Amino acid sequence: MISKLHKRIHRAASRNGGTLGYPDAVANPQSRRRVVARQKEQGKSAPSDADTSQLTHAEFDERGAEMRPLEFGLIARVFAYMRPYRARRNWLLLIVLVRSLQIPALAALFTHVINGPLIARDVRGTLLGAAAFLLLAIFTQVTLHFRSRWALELGEAVVHDLRRDVFAHLQKMTMSFYHRTPVGRIISRMTSDIEVVRSLVQDVLFMSMVNVGQMIFAAAVMFWYDRVLFLMILGLAPILWGLNFYFRRRLSKALRAAQESFSRVTSTLAESVSGIRVTQSFVRQNFNSRLFLSQVVDHSNFNMQAAQKSGALPPLLELNNQFFMVGLLLFGGYRILGPGVGAEIAPVRAEALVGYYLMSATFFSPLATIGNIYNQALAAMAGAERVFQLLDTPPEFADKPDAIALPPIEGRIEFRDLSFGYDPDHLVLHDINFVAEPGQTVALVGHTGSGKSSLIQLISKFYLPTSGQLLIDGQEIRDIQSASLHRQMGIVSQVNFLFTGTVMENIRVGRPDATDEEVMEAARRLDVIDLIETMPEGFHASVGERGEGVSLGQRQIICFVRAMLANPRIMILDEATSSVDTMTELRLQNALATLLKDRTSFVVAHRLSTIQDADTVLVLDGGRIVERGNHHQLLGEGGVYANLYRQFVQATAV
Amino acid sequence: MSPSSTSESNSPAPVATVSNWTLIKRMLGLAWIYRWGCIKVLLLQVAVLSLGLMALGLFGLGVDIIQFHINPKAKVPAYPLGLQPPPDMPVMNVVFLIAAAMLVLALLRAALTYQYALASNHLVQSEIVVDLRAQVYAKLQRISFRFFDTNETGSIINRVTGDVQNVRLFVDGVLLQTVVLVLSVSVYLFYMLHIHVMLTLACLASTPLLVVSTWLYMKKVKPATLKTRELSDVMVRTLSENIQGIQVVKGFARENEEIAKFAQANRNVREQQNWTFWLTSVFSPLTSFIPQLNLVVLLCYGGYLLTHDPTFTLGQGIIVFAGLLRQFEGQVTTIATIANSAQQSLTGAQRVFEILDAPVEIQSKPDAVRVLKARGTVRFENVTFGYRAEEPVLQNIDFEVPAGSSIALTGANGGGKSSLLSLISRFYDPDQGRILLDGVDLRDLDVDDLRRSIGLVFQESFLFSHTVAANIAFGYPRATREQIEQAARIASAHDFIMELPDGYDTILGERGNGLSGGQRQRLAIARAILLDPPILLLDDPTAAIDPETEHEILEAMQSAMQNRTSFVVAHRLSTLRRADRVIVLEHGRIVESGTPDELAENSSFYQQATTTQAPDEESLRLLGLDLEARV
Ligand SMILES: Nc1ncnc2c1ncn2[C@@H]1O[C@H](COP(=O)(O)OP(=O)(O)O)[C@@H](O)[C@H]1O
Ligand SMILES: Nc1ncnc2c1ncn2[C@@H]1O[C@H](COP(=O)(O)OP(=O)(O)O)[C@@H](O)[C@H]1O
Ligand SMILES: [Mg+2]
Ligand SMILES: [Mg+2]
Repeated sequence: MISKLHKRIHRAASRNGGTLGYPDAVANPQSRRRVVARQKEQGKSAPSDADTSQLTHAEFDERGAEMRPLEFGLIARVFAYMRPYRARRNWLLLIVLVRSLQIPALAALFTHVINGPLIARDVRGTLLGAAAFLLLAIFTQVTLHFRSRWALELGEAVVHDLRRDVFAHLQKMTMSFYHRTPVGRIISRMTSDIEVVRSLVQDVLFMSMVNVGQMIFAAAVMFWYDRVLFLMILGLAPILWGLNFYFRRRLSKALRAAQESFSRVTSTLAESVSGIRVTQSFVRQNFNSRLFLSQVVDHSNFNMQAAQKSGALPPLLELNNQFFMVGLLLFGGYRILGPGVGAEIAPVRAEALVGYYLMSATFFSPLATIGNIYNQALAAMAGAERVFQLLDTPPEFADKPDAIALPPIEGRIEFRDLSFGYDPDHLVLHDINFVAEPGQTVALVGHTGSGKSSLIQLISKFYLPTSGQLLIDGQEIRDIQSASLHRQMGIVSQVNFLFTGTVMENIRVGRPDATDEEVMEAARRLDVIDLIETMPEGFHASVGERGEGVSLGQRQIICFVRAMLANPRIMILDEATSSVDTMTELRLQNALATLLKDRTSFVVAHRLSTIQDADTVLVLDGGRIVERGNHHQLLGEGGVYANLYRQFVQATAV
Repeated sequence: MSPSSTSESNSPAPVATVSNWTLIKRMLGLAWIYRWGCIKVLLLQVAVLSLGLMALGLFGLGVDIIQFHINPKAKVPAYPLGLQPPPDMPVMNVVFLIAAAMLVLALLRAALTYQYALASNHLVQSEIVVDLRAQVYAKLQRISFRFFDTNETGSIINRVTGDVQNVRLFVDGVLLQTVVLVLSVSVYLFYMLHIHVMLTLACLASTPLLVVSTWLYMKKVKPATLKTRELSDVMVRTLSENIQGIQVVKGFARENEEIAKFAQANRNVREQQNWTFWLTSVFSPLTSFIPQLNLVVLLCYGGYLLTHDPTFTLGQGIIVFAGLLRQFEGQVTTIATIANSAQQSLTGAQRVFEILDAPVEIQSKPDAVRVLKARGTVRFENVTFGYRAEEPVLQNIDFEVPAGSSIALTGANGGGKSSLLSLISRFYDPDQGRILLDGVDLRDLDVDDLRRSIGLVFQESFLFSHTVAANIAFGYPRATREQIEQAARIASAHDFIMELPDGYDTILGERGNGLSGGQRQRLAIARAILLDPPILLLDDPTAAIDPETEHEILEAMQSAMQNRTSFVVAHRLSTLRRADRVIVLEHGRIVESGTPDELAENSSFYQQATTTQAPDEESLRLLGLDLEARV
C-alpha cells in the first residue's frame, strides 16, 4: 500500500512537467523550439537534433538530478549493449556524418545563391540554385527521418535489453538483498536510471556527433569566407561555452533545492490525505492548512531562485548573438570601408557579411546544444553507474553448478548443530538440533524476535545456515537446486501477497499448468469454494493491487488454496491466520487441518489454539530451542510454554 | 479514477461534469484576479518583441549602407523615421552609429527578457499556483469523507500538484500566449507586407500546411504517448509486484514465469515506443521542411524582385525578410501548442474546481448548539445509513448508552461496526433516523465541538512524522508538556516514550515507523484522551497487534475508558466481558444485544466465539485452572 502510494506520488510529481516552476516559454519568439522540445520530452521521445538547441525547461527538471564525471568504462559498457544491433549502429554513424555536412551545406548554399546569382541578378542561376537548395533540403529531411528514428529505436532497444537483464538478475538475488533494499530504490533503477541511459544513446551519443560535426564544417566554411572574421567568432565561442557551463552548474543546484522542497510538499500532501480521518476527528484543519501554505510558499521561493538562474541564460545567449551581429557590422564594415585596408589582407566582400550572418546560426546553436548534451551525459553517467552497480552485485549465494535436483521427497527435515545470523557476527539462531519426520506437524512458538521466521527462511533456502547443517531427506540443503526444493514446498505467510489478476490466476501460481477444474478441486478440498464463489465474480474476480474489494479473510483463503494446489511435500505457515477475525478463523481451521495432512509442516501461529494439534511444539527463546514436546506434555512441564498459554487463556477467558 | 467519480455516491449535490464553457469562464475570472501581473508580463513581452524587430531592421540597414557604399549601383538604403544622416558624415561613422544602436537595443532586450522571465515566473508560480494550492488544500481538509472514499490517494495528490499547474497553464499558456501570438503575428505580417505584399503572400502560402501538420502531429502523438505511459505503468507494476511478492515468487519457484511475464510487458513498451518514434520522425522532418520551402520561394521570387523592383534591397529586403519568416513560422506553430495547453487546462480545471466546488456536507448550522462539556449520553434512534444509495450498511439501529458506561460492538468483518462509530463522530450523517448526544440531534451541534468531545482510536492508527509529543498533542497543539505526559501515563505510554532516544522529542518515521504496533496504539490512545473527552471510540485497537503485547494495550484501554462513555469494537471475550453492554452487529443489523452475562447464556455468536477461543479441558487441568472459575 505504501509503495503504491509512493508510486502514485512519484508519477504525480513526474507527470507534472511544470511543477518545478519554470515559466513555460511563454511568448518569446524564439521559444517555439522550447515548447516543442518540452512536449516531445513529455512524450519520452527525443527531438530531432536541432530541437534541443534551446534550453528546455523539461530538461532542467530532469537534469537537476545527480551527476557524475564522464567515465569511459561506463560509456563503453553502454556501447556494448548496441552490439546486437551493430548494423543499425553503423548505418547511423554514417548518417550522422552525412547530416553534419548537410546542415552547414544548406546554409552555405543559401549564402552562395544570394552572393552569387542573386546579387548578379542572374535569374537562371538563382533558379538553379534554388532548385539545388530544394533538393538538398529534401535530402536533409530524409536523413533527419532516419537519423532520428534509428537513434530512438536503438536507444529503446538498449533500454529494453538492459531492463531484461536487470530483471533476470533480480530473480537471482537472494532474500537478503530484498530485505536490505527498499522497493522504491529497485524500481527507480529500472525507471529513472535506465531512462537516462536511454538519453545517453538517443541524444548524447548521436546528437553530439551531429552537432560537433556541424560546428566543424560551419567553421571551415566561415574560415574559407574570411579568416579575420573567423577569429572574432572563435573569440566569442569560449565565452558562450563558459556562460553555458557556469549557469547550468548554478542552476542544477538551485533545481535540486526546488525539487527537494517539492517533495516535502507532496509528502505532506500524501500524509494529509491518508490521515484525513485523524485530522478531521481532531479538528486540525486550520492548523494543517497554515502549515501547508508555508511549505508551498517555501517551494515557490526556491522556484524563484531557480528561475533567477535559469532566466539569465537565454537572454545572455541571445545577447551573444546580438553582439555577434554588431561585431559583424562594425568589423566587416571597417574592413570594407575603413582606411587601413592593407594589401596583405584581401578586403572582405560585403557578401561575406551575409554569409557570416547566415552561417553563424549553424555554428553557435550547436554550442548551446552541446552544453545541454554534456549535462545530460553527466546525469546519464550517474544513472548508468547505478544500473550497472545493480547488475554487478552478485547474489549472496547461488546453486552450486553440481547441485542436484531433488526427486519427489519424503519430507524428513533435520537440523544439525545449526546456527544462523543475517549478519554472521549476530547469530539469531543457536545450535538448533531436531528432526521433523515425514508427515509431522511442527509448531514454532516464541516471542516476537525469537527466531521463528528465521528458522523457516532457512528451510525455504532463502538463506543458508551460517554453520551446521540442514538436511532434507538426508541431502545437505546447500547441494540442492533451489527450484527443485521450492516446487515441493508451499508457503503461506502473514503478508497475503496476491498478484494483479484474477483469483484463478493467483491460485495457479502454485502450479502453472493446473486446469480450472483442478483449481476448483483444490478449493473444494479445503472446503472454501463457497467463500470464493460469493465474491462478485467468483474465481474471476480481480485481486491484487487493484482488487481492493477483497477482504483480508478472502485473501488468506486464496493463499491457502494456492499452497494446496501446489500439493507440496513441505508446508509452511508463518502467522498465516493472524489478520482474520474470529469467525473467519473458525472457518479456516478446518481448511488448515486438510492443508497440513500428510505433509511435513511448520506452523507459526499467534493463536495458540491452532497449535494444540501439532505433533511437536518447539518453543524458541532468543534463538534457542528451550522446550520441545507436544502441547499437553509442555503444559505438564509448566515452563515457558505453559506460561504463554496461561496468558492466552486469561486474555480470552477472564 | 474518473474526475466525476464522486457523482456515483449519493452526496446531496452530485458534481456533474461541468461544460467547457463554464470552466473557461471561471478560468477567465481567475485570470482577472491576476490582471496586473498579466499585463506586466504582456507589456514586457511586447517590448522584447519590438526590440528584436528593431535590431533586425537595423542590421538590414547596415548591410544596405555598406552595399551602397562599395557598389553605387546598388539601391539607396531607406532610413527609418526620416533619420537621414548628414550627407557629409563618413560612412564608417554611420555604420558605427548603427552598431551602437544595435548594442543598446541588445542590452535592453536582454535585460527585459530577464525581467520577463522573472515576472512571469513570479505571476505563475508565486501567485497563481500558491493561491490555488492553498485553496485546494484547505478545501480538502474540510471536504466530506465520501470524496476520499471514491478517489484514490494518488489522484487526490495529483489535483493539488499537477492539476493546479494545468489550471494556471490557462493563464500563461493559453491566454497570454494567444495575445502574444495575435500581436506578434500581426506585427510580423505587417512588417513583411510593408516590405513586399506579393512576396509575403507567396512565402506564407504554405503556412496553413505548417499549422495543420503540427496540429495533426499533436493529435496523433498524444494518444500514442498516453498508451506508452499505460504500458510502462504495467511494466513497472509487474516489477514492483515481483519485488513485493518475491517470497511467493521464490517460494513457488516462479522465476521463469515471472521473467516471461516481464519480457512481455517490456516488449509491449518497446513496440509502442517505436510507433511513437515513427510518428515523431515522420512529422518533425515535415515541419522543418516547410520553412525551407519558404526560403526557396524567397530565393526565387526575391531574386526576381531584386532585379525588377528598384525599391527592393538585399539587406532590408531579403535578409530582413528571411529573419521575419523564421520568427513568423516560430509563432505560428505555437497555435498547436496553445490548443494543446487549452485542452490540458480544461481537464485540470475540471478536477480542481470539482474540489473547490464540492459541498462540505458536514457543517455546523448557523445557530448550532455549542457543547463545551458533554455529559455523554448517546442515543441512536432508528438509524439507517449507507455509503451508496440502495445499499444500507446499517439498518434500524436503535439503542441508548448512558453517560459513563461502556458498550462493546462485535460481529464479523463488514458487519458495520466501524460505520456505526463514524456516525457518532459525524463523519457521515444518517440517511434515516437520528443520533442524539445528551438529547440533542448531532446535526444541531457545532461539529468542531462535537469532535473535540470525542476521542477516537482506529484499528491501525495513523501517526504523523512529527515528534512523539506533537503526535499526542495533534488535536490540541497548545497542550503543555504536563498535559501530554499526563495523557501518555493514562495510556501506559510514558515508560516506553522515556526509553526512546529523545523521549517525547523523538521524531517518528513516516506513519510512525520505528514503533511497534502496540506502542503506536498506545500513542493513539494518549492522543485521543489528551483533551479528556467525555466520549471515547475504540475501533478494534488490538486487531493489528500480536497477543503477547496485547495485554499492554488492554490495560491502557481500560484506564482510558474510565469515566467516559466508550464504544469499543472487539473480538476478544476478555474485552467483551468488561463492557457494560455488548451489541452484535451482522449485516448492518443488531442481531443480539445485552449484558455480557445475558449473552453468555443464550447468544449463538457468543458461544461460537467461546468455543474457538477456549482451551480444552485437559489443557486447563494441566494449567491448574479450574473450569468453573472461568465463567
Ligand atoms: N532480514 C533480516 N535482517 C536482519 N535481521 C533480521 C531480519 N529478519 C529478522 N531479523 C532479526 O532476527 C531475529 C529473529 O527474527 P524473526 O526470525 O523474524 O523472529 P520471529 O519470527 O520469531 O518474530 C530478530 O532479532 C530480528 O530482528
Ligand atoms: N468508505 C466506504 N465506502 C463504501 N463502503 C464502505 C466504506 N466503508 C465500509 N464500507 C462497507 O460497509 C460495510 C460495513 O463496513 P464496516 O463498517 O467497516 O464494518 P466492520 O467495521 O464491522 O468490519 C462493508 O460492507 C464495507 O464494505
Ligand atoms: Mg516472524
Ligand atoms: Mg471495522
